[in-house]
Amino acid sequence: MPISSHIPKLTRRAALLGAAAALMFSAVLPAHNARAEDTVKLGLVAALSGQSAKSGEAITRGIMLAIDKINADGGVLGKPIELVSRDDEANPGKGLVAARELAQREGVAAIIGGLDTPVSFAIVPFVNQQKIPFIGPWAAGTGITKNGADENYVFRVSAVDEYVDEAITEYLIANYGAKKPGMILINNPWGESNEKGLLKALDKRGMEHAGIEKFESNDVDVVPQLTRLKENGADSLFVVANVAPTAQVIKSLDRMGWDVPISSHWGPAGGRFTELAGKSGEKVHFIQTYLFTDAADPMFVKLQEKFPEIKTLADVTPATGIANAYDATLLTAAAIEKAGSTDGAAIRQAMYEISGIKGMIKTYDTPFTPDDQDALGPEDYTFAHFVDGQIIPIK
Amino acid sequence: MKSLRKFKNPIPKLNKPVALDCTIILAVIGGLIGVSITGGYTQFVIGLVAITTVLCVGLNVLYGLTGLVSLGQVGFFAIGAYASVILTLAGLNFWLSLVAATLIAAIAGCVLAISAVRMAGPFLAMVTIAFAFIVEHGAIEWRSLTGGQNGLMGFPMPQIGSYVFAERDLVMLCVIVGGIGLLAFRRLAVSGWGMAMTSMRDAEIAASSLGYNAFAVKASGFAIAAAVAGLAGALYAPLMMFIAPSNFPISQSILYLFAVILGGAGTVLGPFVGASVSVLLPELLSDFAEYRLLIFGALLIVVLLIAPRGLVGMAERFIPIAKRGVKAIPPAEIEAGLKAYPKSDGLTVDNVSISFGGVKAVNSVSFAAKPGQVTSIIGPNGAGKTTLLNIISGFYKPTEGAVRIGDQDIAGRPTDFAARSGIARTYQATRLFENMSVIDNVIAGLPVGRFGAPFSVIASDKNRSHAAGLLAFCGYLGDIDARAGDLPHVDRRLVEIARSLATKPGVLLLDEPAAGLMHADKVSLAKLLRQLADAGITVVLVEHDMEMVMGISDHILAVDAGTPIIFGSPQAVQNDPQVIAAYLGDGEMTARPRPIPFEVGASPVIETLRLTAGYGAAPVLQSVDLKVQQGEMVALLGANGAGKSTFLTALAGLLRPVKGSIVLNNEYIHTLAPHQIVEQGLILVPEGRQVFPELTVRENIELGAYKQPKPVSKDELEAILKRFPRLRDRINSLAGHLSGGEQQMMAIARGLVAKPKALLLDEPSLGLAPAMTEELYAILGELRDEGVTILLVDQMATMALSVADYAYVLEQGQVVAQGKASELRRDERLIAAYLGGAEQTTKEPKKVAQ
Amino acid sequence: MTLLIAALITGIGLGSMYGLVALGFQITYSVSSKVNFAQGSMVMLGAVLGFVFCEQYGFPVILGYPLAILCCGVAGILVEFFLVRPFAIRNSEAWLMATVAGGILLDNVVLFTFGNEPRTLPSNLVSESWNVFGTGVYPQQILIPIAAIGVALALNALFRHTRQGRALLAVVQNLQAAKLMGINTTVMVTGSFAISSMLAGCAGLLIAPLFSVHSDMGTLFGLKAFAVAILGGMTSAYAVMLAGFIYGLVEAGVTTYLGSSYTFIVVFALVIAVLTIKPSGLFGRAAIKKV
Repeated sequence: MPISSHIPKLTRRAALLGAAAALMFSAVLPAHNARAEDTVKLGLVAALSGQSAKSGEAITRGIMLAIDKINADGGVLGKPIELVSRDDEANPGKGLVAARELAQREGVAAIIGGLDTPVSFAIVPFVNQQKIPFIGPWAAGTGITKNGADENYVFRVSAVDEYVDEAITEYLIANYGAKKPGMILINNPWGESNEKGLLKALDKRGMEHAGIEKFESNDVDVVPQLTRLKENGADSLFVVANVAPTAQVIKSLDRMGWDVPISSHWGPAGGRFTELAGKSGEKVHFIQTYLFTDAADPMFVKLQEKFPEIKTLADVTPATGIANAYDATLLTAAAIEKAGSTDGAAIRQAMYEISGIKGMIKTYDTPFTPDDQDALGPEDYTFAHFVDGQIIPIK
Repeated sequence: MKSLRKFKNPIPKLNKPVALDCTIILAVIGGLIGVSITGGYTQFVIGLVAITTVLCVGLNVLYGLTGLVSLGQVGFFAIGAYASVILTLAGLNFWLSLVAATLIAAIAGCVLAISAVRMAGPFLAMVTIAFAFIVEHGAIEWRSLTGGQNGLMGFPMPQIGSYVFAERDLVMLCVIVGGIGLLAFRRLAVSGWGMAMTSMRDAEIAASSLGYNAFAVKASGFAIAAAVAGLAGALYAPLMMFIAPSNFPISQSILYLFAVILGGAGTVLGPFVGASVSVLLPELLSDFAEYRLLIFGALLIVVLLIAPRGLVGMAERFIPIAKRGVKAIPPAEIEAGLKAYPKSDGLTVDNVSISFGGVKAVNSVSFAAKPGQVTSIIGPNGAGKTTLLNIISGFYKPTEGAVRIGDQDIAGRPTDFAARSGIARTYQATRLFENMSVIDNVIAGLPVGRFGAPFSVIASDKNRSHAAGLLAFCGYLGDIDARAGDLPHVDRRLVEIARSLATKPGVLLLDEPAAGLMHADKVSLAKLLRQLADAGITVVLVEHDMEMVMGISDHILAVDAGTPIIFGSPQAVQNDPQVIAAYLGDGEMTARPRPIPFEVGASPVIETLRLTAGYGAAPVLQSVDLKVQQGEMVALLGANGAGKSTFLTALAGLLRPVKGSIVLNNEYIHTLAPHQIVEQGLILVPEGRQVFPELTVRENIELGAYKQPKPVSKDELEAILKRFPRLRDRINSLAGHLSGGEQQMMAIARGLVAKPKALLLDEPSLGLAPAMTEELYAILGELRDEGVTILLVDQMATMALSVADYAYVLEQGQVVAQGKASELRRDERLIAAYLGGAEQTTKEPKKVAQ
Repeated sequence: MTLLIAALITGIGLGSMYGLVALGFQITYSVSSKVNFAQGSMVMLGAVLGFVFCEQYGFPVILGYPLAILCCGVAGILVEFFLVRPFAIRNSEAWLMATVAGGILLDNVVLFTFGNEPRTLPSNLVSESWNVFGTGVYPQQILIPIAAIGVALALNALFRHTRQGRALLAVVQNLQAAKLMGINTTVMVTGSFAISSMLAGCAGLLIAPLFSVHSDMGTLFGLKAFAVAILGGMTSAYAVMLAGFIYGLVEAGVTTYLGSSYTFIVVFALVIAVLTIKPSGLFGRAAIKKV
C-alpha cells in the first residue's frame, strides 16, 4: 500500500520497530565479551553441505580426534580446546564472512579450513590483514600459501598443486612412457591452478600436450571433450576434479571405449568413487598423503570409537582429509602452547619454532619456515588406486 | 478511528510522512550509533543489513510499486560490484566509480526491460533468471576482466581527500545511503512516478487509458531497481574486500525477493525490516552450521504462511490510519474548469474496419462526433460497439480507416497516446485501481501520463481539492479515502467517470455506463452527461438503455453485426425501418406456451430465503426470495446488471460465501462447493455456453455425466441427438469449431445428461439468430412439457414469459415484481417500468453468432 | 562427424529429459497457473528413492521404480497442499517463494537422511556401450528419449480416454464449466501437482544411471526444464516436448563446439532473445488483449 493515505502514524510504529531492531541486533553483538574464557577456540571453515560435504566431514573428524587427544593431555595454555564450525557451502563469499565471524565475533585463536581453493583464496587477504593464523588441511592451490604477503599467516598441511602436478607428470612418464598427455580439468580455480602446474611440469621436460579440456561439475557427459583429446593423439590423461565429476570422466571414457592411462590429483579419494565410476575407476591412479591400510591401525580404531557410524575402511574416505586435519590441529595446538598466548602474531612466530610433533602422516621437524609455509612436500605423497571400494597404495 | 475523525486537519508535525521520515532517520541514527559502539563483525553485519536494504528498496520499486517480479536482481548487484571494482583498480576515484557503476547497472536494467516489459508471470521470472545466470557465468569466463572464479581483491578503500576510509566509515556510509534510499522511496511512492507505477500494477489497461505509457513506466521500474542494485553492489565490494562470481548466485536473488515480501512489498519500511531479518536470521542460525539451510527453508515457509502481507503490513493493521482533510472545489467551479480547458475539434471516425480471424467485427463505420454533443452508438449485443470504442481508444489497430482528433489521425496509435491526445474512456466492467483510495484513483488521472518530478507529492492539497471536486461534481457522495475495490457498483461508475474527467479530455467515451443502475441513478447520470457535453466535451455513449439514449443524444449511430445502419438524429433513427427491423427482429418471434396450465405442486425444488451475495463489499443480490416448484418453469427477468447471472452463479455454488439460504429438495446447499451441488442435481447451463473448445462434442456431452454413476449410454446419446438433431453431424467435431447456436444446443445437452433435478439456463438466446432462438425455445418448451424443472434467465423478456409458468423481476439485486408469466406478459406497463430499456432489448437477437 | 553424432545423441537424450520435467511445469500451469519451483528437487527425489528402494532395500526394479515415482506423486500432493494452496486462496504470489523454499527444505532433508555422498544407481543399460557411427552410446541413452516420449504419449492417452483424465483437460480448457460439470477442481489441481512430480521423478530415474545420485542433483535440471517449459509456451504438451529437444540439442551443440563453460551463457542468452521476439514462447499462443 504505497500511497500516503495508508501510511500510519509515528509513535507506535517507531516503538515497534525499535523493539524489533534491538532484539535482532542483540543477536549479533559480540558473543565473546571477555577473552578470558575457559576454552581456547579453534575455528573451522569448510563445506559441510553440498557436494564436498563428505570431505568436510573428514576434516571435522580429523580435528575432533586431535582435539580429543590434546584435551586428554591437558589442553593448551591449561585450557581445553573448543571447535567452532562454520559451513562455507563451497562459496568463497560465505567462507570469507564465516572467517570474519569466527575471528571477530567468536574470537578464535586460529582458523583451520578452506576445503575449496577459491574459498581459501578469498580468506587469505583477510587473515593476513587481521593477523589470524589460517591453517589449510585440504585446498591445494599453490598461491594459497605462496600469497606474497610480507607477514604471511597462511600455513598448510596438505598437498600443493604445483608439487602434485610435478609428481603426476613424472608418474605418467615413468610408468607408461607418456609422450603426449591430454588434460581434462574441472572448470574452476582448482583446475586453473593445476593447468599452470601441469604446463610448468611439461615445459620443464620439453614435452607437448594433446590439449587442455575443461568441464563443469554438473556435466552429465564429457564425451565431446574427451573425443577431441583422443583425436589430438593423447596417449595418457591428467584428471583434476572431485569425486563425482571424475566419475563422469571415467564413465564417458568407458562409453567411448577408450582405454588410456590416467593419473589424477587426489579428487577421486573422497567418497565412493568406484561405485560412481564403475570398475574402470580402479584404473585411475591418484595422489594421497595418507592411507589407512589396515583396520587394526590404532588411529582407525580411535576413529571407530569416536564415530560409531564408521564400520569399515571404506567408510573413512578420504583418509587424507582426516590425517591432514589431525596433523594441522596438532601443529596449531603446539604453536599456541609454544606462543604462550592466543595472540595471532605470537602463534605465527611459534609456528616456525615448533618441532618434533608426531602426527599421522609423519613426525614434523620444523615443518614451517617463512620461505615455505607448507608442512608437506612431494616426498610425502603416495600413489594409490581403488580396489574393491578401498584405497590401496600402489607399489 | 473515531478520535481521529475529529481532526480533519491534523497538526502537520504528526502528519504521516513526517512520522515515517522520523522513523527512518531514527533507524539511521541507531545504525550509526551501533556502528560506533561496536566493531568487528557486528559492524560488518550492520553494513550488510544496510546494503541489503539499499538493494531491496530498488526491488521494492519494481515489485512493490510496479508489480513486476525480478529474480535477476543479483545480476545488477554483480554488475555494480564488478564495474566499481574494475574501475577503481583501473585508477578511477571510488566516488566516480560508484556513480559509473550505478549508471552501468541502470543501462543494463533498461536493456533487460526491452525484453522483460512485454512479459508477465513465469515468463518474466525466466528472463530475469536467465539474465542473472548470464552475468554470473560471464563473470566466471571473462577472466581478463573479472579474474574468473578467483575473483578480484586488493582494491583500495574509498577516500575523501587524503582520508582513507576504515571499515567503520564505510559501514557508516552504507547506513546513510540506506537511509537516503528509504527516504527517497518514501517520496517516490507518493509522487507521480509512484502513482504511474501503482496504477500500472493495479490495472494496466486503465493506466494506459489515463495516458501512462506501459513501457516507460515498467522500464523506469526496471532501471531504478537496477541502478539501486548497482549502487548496492558498488558499496558491497569494498565492504567484502573481495568479490567473486560465487558471491552472486541466483539463490541470492530469491533471498532479496523474499526479504521484500517478508518486510512487506510496497511499504516504505518493508525493505529495511526484510533485509534485517534475511541478513540476521542466517547469523542467528550460524551455530547450526550444516543444518542452517534446512532451518532457513522451514522458517521461510512458516513466515510466508503467517505473515502474508509482510511484517510491516502486519504491523500496520494495528496502527490506525490518520485521515487527511480536503477542501473540495465546489461543483460550479469544476464546471467552469471543464469549460475552460482547450479541447479538440471533435472526433471523426472514417471508414474504419477490423477483422478478427477472418470475421469482420467492424465494417466500414464512419461518423463524426462534435464537441458539445452527445453521440450515441446503439446496436444489439455483439454488434461491435465496444470493439469500435476499443479502436478509437487505441487498444485495437483497425485493418483500415482513420480515427481523427481534429486533424490528427490516431488510428493504430497506442492507448496512452490516444489518452494524451484527449480521449478518455470508461469501461463496461469498471476498471478502477482496486487497491488505491477513491481520491487517489482520480488523482492518477490528473497528470495525463506525465510522471512529474520524481520526489514531489502528487496528492498535493491542490490535486486533492481538484479530485474531490470532480468526485462531488460526478455525484459521488461516499468516503473519498475508501478503498476503490470496496465500492458498490454505482459508485464505481461515478469514480471512473470522475477519473476520466481528470485527464481533461476532449472526447469522452462511455461504455454502457447505465448498466445495473437504478432508474433514479440513470436520470442523474443522464443529467451529468448532458452537463459534460454542454461544457464542450465530445461525449460518445454506448448504451442499451433506449430511454436514456433517446433522451440525451444529439446524434445516434446504429450498427448491426459490425455494419452501420444509419447515423442521424434520435427521431430519424427511431423511425428508420432498417433499424426497427434489425433491432426488433423481423416479425414477432413466439414460443409455445404450456398447453395445460401448470398446477402448483406440493413442495418447491429450489427455494432461496433472503439470499444476499456479491463480489467484494457491495452486495449484488439483496435478500432475494424465490421458489421453483417441481416441474415448473420459472423465468427470472431484469435489465443488464440487475443481478440475474449472479443469482444463478450463487445457486450453482460458483459464488461463495453467500448470506441467507438456498434449499434444494429440502436440503441446504448454500455452503456446498459447485461439484457437490452438481451431485445434488442442480445443473447450470452458463451464460456464453462455456464449452470445452478442444474436446469433441461427444466428449463434452460425456463430461456432463461426470457425476453420474454410469457414463452416457448409446441410447442416451441417441435420445440427445434426436432432441438436438443439429449435433448429429458435428458429434466428432471440436466444440470450439461449432457455431454459437450449436454450442448452446450442446451446452444444454451437456446439462441434460446430468439428469438434473433442476436445470438453470443463463441467457441461452444470447447472440443467437432469430431462427436459432425459436428452435431453442421450442426445445425448452418440450423440456418443460416433459416435466423438467427449469429456472430461465433471458434478456428476451417476452419470449421467456411466453414459455415460463411464473416469473420474477429483479432490479438492483432485489425482487421488485413476481407473478404468473401470462399475467406479467400482459402487463406492458409493468415491464416498461421495471425493465427500463430491457423492453426494447428483449427482441434484439439479430446478431448471427460467430 | 563423431563429435556431431555424439552431440546429437547427448542432445536428444538430455532434451527429452528436460521435456519430461518441463511437461510437469506445463501441466500444473495449465490447470492452476501455478508452477512447482521445487520440480528440480522432485527429479532428485525420484533418483534418490529409486536408489534407496532398489539398492538399499533390495527391491526389484519393477517394484522399486514405480514405488519411487509414486512417492514423488505424494510429495507433489504435499507441495500443493502446504506450499501452493494456502497462497492461492489468498490470491498471493508467495507460492513462488514457498515452493522454492520447499525445494531447499527437501534437498536438505535428503542431505541429512540419504547422506552427503554422491551414489550411483546402477543399470544394466550403462554397463556396456554400443558403437554408433564411431561414438560410444549407452543403451540407456537410447532408452531415455524412447521412455520420455512413451511416458508423454501414455499421459496423453490417459488424459483423452479416462474419466479423470478428461476431467483434468476440462479444467484446463474451462475452469468454470468444469466446476459446473461437477468436477472437483481442487482435487484436479492437486492431481496435476502429483502428475507433475511423478514426471520429474521419472526423469530422475532415467538420468540417474548416467549421472550420480545426490541431494542437489536436481537444481540445474529443474531450472533448465523451466526454461524449456517457458520456451514451449506453457500451453501445449507437444510444444513443450519439442522445446525440450531443441534446448537439449542447442545445449549439446554449444558444449561440443564451444566448450561447456559457455553453455549457460549462450543458451540463456538465446532464451532471452527468443522471448524478446516471441514473448509467449516459441510455440506459445499470443493471448488476445481483452478489454
